[in-house]
Amino acid sequence: MLRKILKPVSLFLVCSFLLLDLSVQTAKAQMVDTNTVIAVQQEQANRERVVAFLGREDVQKVMVQQGVDTAEAKMRVASLSPAELAKMANSMDQLPAGGDGVGSVVGAVVFIFVVLLITDLLGLTHVFPFVRAQR
Amino acid sequence: MIAGLLFFVLALFLPGCGLLPIGPLTRAPDVPVRAMVAGVPFFAQDELQCGPASLAMVLNWSGVAVQPSDLSAEVYSPGLKGSLQNSLIGSARRHGRVAYPLTGSEALLAEVAAGHPVIVLVNLSFFWYPKWHYAVVIGFDQQQGEVILHSGLTAREILSSRTFMNLWRRSDYWGLLVLPPDQMPVGSDEGEWLSAVAGLELTGQWQAATTGYATALKRWEASFAAWMGLGNSRYSLHDLAGSAEAFRQATLLQPQNGMAFNNLAHVLAEQGKQEEALTAAQRAVDLGGSFLDTFRQTLEEVQRK
Repeated sequence: MLRKILKPVSLFLVCSFLLLDLSVQTAKAQMVDTNTVIAVQQEQANRERVVAFLGREDVQKVMVQQGVDTAEAKMRVASLSPAELAKMANSMDQLPAGGDGVGSVVGAVVFIFVVLLITDLLGLTHVFPFVRAQR
Repeated sequence: MIAGLLFFVLALFLPGCGLLPIGPLTRAPDVPVRAMVAGVPFFAQDELQCGPASLAMVLNWSGVAVQPSDLSAEVYSPGLKGSLQNSLIGSARRHGRVAYPLTGSEALLAEVAAGHPVIVLVNLSFFWYPKWHYAVVIGFDQQQGEVILHSGLTAREILSSRTFMNLWRRSDYWGLLVLPPDQMPVGSDEGEWLSAVAGLELTGQWQAATTGYATALKRWEASFAAWMGLGNSRYSLHDLAGSAEAFRQATLLQPQNGMAFNNLAHVLAEQGKQEEALTAAQRAVDLGGSFLDTFRQTLEEVQRK
């Protein structure tokens, strides 16, 4: 049942999205933009564009929730291709965000401190910059 | 139960019997034993700002003068206390640089040996207490078993290859090249390079995109997507003659594909070549395909002129 509906809905979304999207990317509507050319060549165009259409706003919304300013969130989302957005939209809450590295483990209980100290020595982790792992 | 727990703890601690076997840092046969990338400036990171710092290092290496503090607004997400991989990619594009992701140690060492610094995402700790971190790999010495990185507060930090692989594995060996558009990665794949260049279009970096496509065409002169990209970005730079030429090349490569004729028709119409534009637009409609509606609109628009 869902599958039956999905196809026409997808097609509709693809078409409406294409019209929307092209006018933004290329100066002129009705010109096929390069990201579309590539997506078509990779034969993933339709699926990814639908997800991206649904994903673009979602990703943007989540970014704002994560403290990014609204206008900036829009810019960040605009700089990503449909394929990249599609991947992102599916796992927005699980993506790693690199931030650490200065090595402060304030708040960690002593046990974790000790464990990480040992694993640092073993070369399994590198939480404390002052620890040199054994070879 | 207690024995099981003990075993688990032991397994975690003993290097010889780790829970998961770690692949060694492998290198393709034609890559040298040691290499060091010159000219990568070091920026010590502020707290939680390893993303902006790492990106600033590679951007400056690539010729874009920018400070980590300038990049923070483009990549850092306060709520996450960190920077997303895609934010680094988008920001590199906004500065006119090609963001090209890579995975695995062979690709990493090959690029470093070719003189390209690589941003890597690592988890300094375990999944149950993750400390995600970006650093820039600038060198390696396989004889000594060392990887050299600009990381955190340390310039040219030396990690044993084994430690590095332990940390890098946790991001599925994710790396990112940030390159000037006229420098392709050594191991570049046509589709991936073109996708990376097309990303520049998304941020309006048309000049850089043009260079990226032209660079691709030096290696893959029969690339339809590259000619299309060149046509589109030249068009956006108001180079109508150059754009028409590129789309014409695309039509020769794929005479059964309406997309090139469709875009060519627009450019010809704008050049005032009404008759040629009509022929191209009509050809696109005749060829049809999933963009038929677009092609029809093009034809109508050309007829209206």
